[in-house]
Amino acid sequence: MLSIKDLHAEVEGKSILNGLNLEIKPGEVHAIMGPNGSGKSTLASVLAGNEAFEVTDGSVDFEGEDLLEMGPDERSHAGLFLAFQYPIEIPGVSNINFLKTAINEKREALGQEPISAKEFLAMVKEKAALVELDNKLANRSVNEGFSGGEKKRNEIFQMAMLEPKLGILDETDSGLDIDALRIVANGVNQLRSPERSFVVVTHYQRLLDYIVPDFVHVLYNGKIVRTGGKELALELEEKGYDWIKKEEDQLA
Amino acid sequence: MMNQKDNKTPWADSLIASYAAKPESENLGELRFPTRKDEYWKYTRTNQIAKNSWSFQDAEISSDQVENAIDGIKNCVVFINGKFDAPHSIELPKGISVANTDAAVESFAAEKPFNPFRILNEALPQTCLDIAIENNTVLDEAINFVFIYHGKDSVANPFNRVKIGANSSVKWIERHIHIGEHATFGNVCTQIRLGENAYCGMDILQSGTGSSNHHEEIEVSVEKGARYVQNSFTLSGNWTRNNTQVSIVGENAEANLNGFYIPAQKELVDNHTIIDHQVAHCNSNELYRGVMLDQSTGVFNGKVFVRQDAQKTNAFQSNGNILMSDNATMNSKPELEIYADDVKCSHGSTTGQFDDEAMFYLMARGISKSTAQKMLVGAFAADVLELLVHEELHEEIENAIHKKLG
Ligand SMILES: Nc1ncnc2c1ncn2[C@@H]1O[C@H](COP(=O)(O)OP(=O)(O)OP(=O)(O)O)[C@@H](O)[C@H]1O
Ligand SMILES: [Mg+2]
Repeated sequence: MLSIKDLHAEVEGKSILNGLNLEIKPGEVHAIMGPNGSGKSTLASVLAGNEAFEVTDGSVDFEGEDLLEMGPDERSHAGLFLAFQYPIEIPGVSNINFLKTAINEKREALGQEPISAKEFLAMVKEKAALVELDNKLANRSVNEGFSGGEKKRNEIFQMAMLEPKLGILDETDSGLDIDALRIVANGVNQLRSPERSFVVVTHYQRLLDYIVPDFVHVLYNGKIVRTGGKELALELEEKGYDWIKKEEDQLA
Repeated sequence: MMNQKDNKTPWADSLIASYAAKPESENLGELRFPTRKDEYWKYTRTNQIAKNSWSFQDAEISSDQVENAIDGIKNCVVFINGKFDAPHSIELPKGISVANTDAAVESFAAEKPFNPFRILNEALPQTCLDIAIENNTVLDEAINFVFIYHGKDSVANPFNRVKIGANSSVKWIERHIHIGEHATFGNVCTQIRLGENAYCGMDILQSGTGSSNHHEEIEVSVEKGARYVQNSFTLSGNWTRNNTQVSIVGENAEANLNGFYIPAQKELVDNHTIIDHQVAHCNSNELYRGVMLDQSTGVFNGKVFVRQDAQKTNAFQSNGNILMSDNATMNSKPELEIYADDVKCSHGSTTGQFDDEAMFYLMARGISKSTAQKMLVGAFAADVLELLVHEELHEEIENAIHKKLG
């Protein structure tokens, strides 16, 4: 589904991703962990097409297409979704209007009819229930005045509405209380299917108790330096990153 | 010292000759147009107007053209090149009449910045729209005053006089529409007096062409307990200058001036406002927002005077601008002059680029760049649109904004 080869990216002349490789097959869940500033969000941004980051080398293939050639909107139409680490507030743009526009632009790109009002409302109701998002929030401006946790739920709600092939969740668990974590994780689990894959960026093993990954990767200095099963997350929880940093720094 | 005659604009004589009635004064020869040195005109060039040859014209306009311009607009009272056009107008409601102006009324504002456009209108005023509302009257059906400007090098000097009696309430929509490919020059002056506890609400829509010039001066006096609301939307037009001067002369009164402008290509939009708080316990609010595209220029100058007696004044002013292109320019200047000590005044002016992060967020959800731009500009304009006196204009203005964004 997604094949990242030797990806290099920089921002403002500073190199952040330094030859990153990752293969994701349909239905798989990949967890990405790693110290602060190692490049996890940068990877997510680059995949979603944020122009602030410049790809200087490497390739990304998504479902047989050159992802890097596509605009952010086209990537979304192709089935890629990024749940932001810090979802921004957009005053004056209503959540509902925004989602309807997003769904219809995707449908248009795929040559489909626009969604009917009835169908849309039914979908909003169903998907909001999935993450127990308060209906009132759906009618407000995008993320405006939402609490940290509400913003994260809204991201997953949007993901559920857009039904992507690949969902990238950037620290969706941070800022969630214990109950919300369980609810959001359940929501994600319900979206799991043999065709749909996920990249879950997290600092905490706790999330991975709920969303059980097939692979756990450690990102350090813009590269994946370790890959293992879910037990790697447990090991990191116990030992931290120092031992990996040490080994890697010695190699360098 | 230069002879006054030498200052004469080349077209003054022929302009006077084309004026239907004999003008009160023939001293247009002294008309001088501002230069960069005139503070009040610092950012707005007037030489293209000064050097053109203008005249009053009855140029042919077909009924189709008029109907096209007023298509979909209800309750129209139409003026073509400054003259009342009965065939396309509704029967005038009680209190509203159209007369030939004998003479324009002199400015009653305390501050009188140099304005040759006003001098021109005062010297050669055209049909006067007279709105005289008795006390205790409510006129709540929206009337559209539609001013159409057309014809090669034609000037129009509409003069409007509004007097609203005590406890009365009036609202209307003003539309200024320049049509055709020729240079046109609309030069409007409006004087509004609100009696005690009166309300006046108006929405102004200005649309022009690639060679239109539009100057509009509105002078308002607000008596005790009265409330004035003015929203202006400059949607297109090569050159547009709006001056609004509000004198608040009675206590517990309120003035609200708002505007939105979205110039493109080489268009210029200039909004100058003066709010003069002369007495205590009054409020004023100003919200102006603009989106500058291409090589366009925006100007905002908001002066607020709080006189010595105007204690407990609340004066709020905000001007926000987005530059959508590296070649667009905005000149924004709030000016507060406060002579009273117990007042709350705030002003803010921001000019920035488009929010890339918000764009990316929307696009990452599958929304195209052009739709995302429309959504964000729409959201920016929404705070002004929410203040519309006539809510039903919301969609029309939003559509015009979208059209402008392409
Ligand atoms: N727009 C930017 N301008 C300059 N530097 C940036 C920018 N975005 C990211 N960086 C830098 O790139 C590096 C990687 O940042 P990134 O956000 O990808 O880290 P992360 O792994 O997601 O960290 P965290 O766990 O704290 O979220 C950091 O050093 C960061 O300061
Ligand atoms: Mg991050």
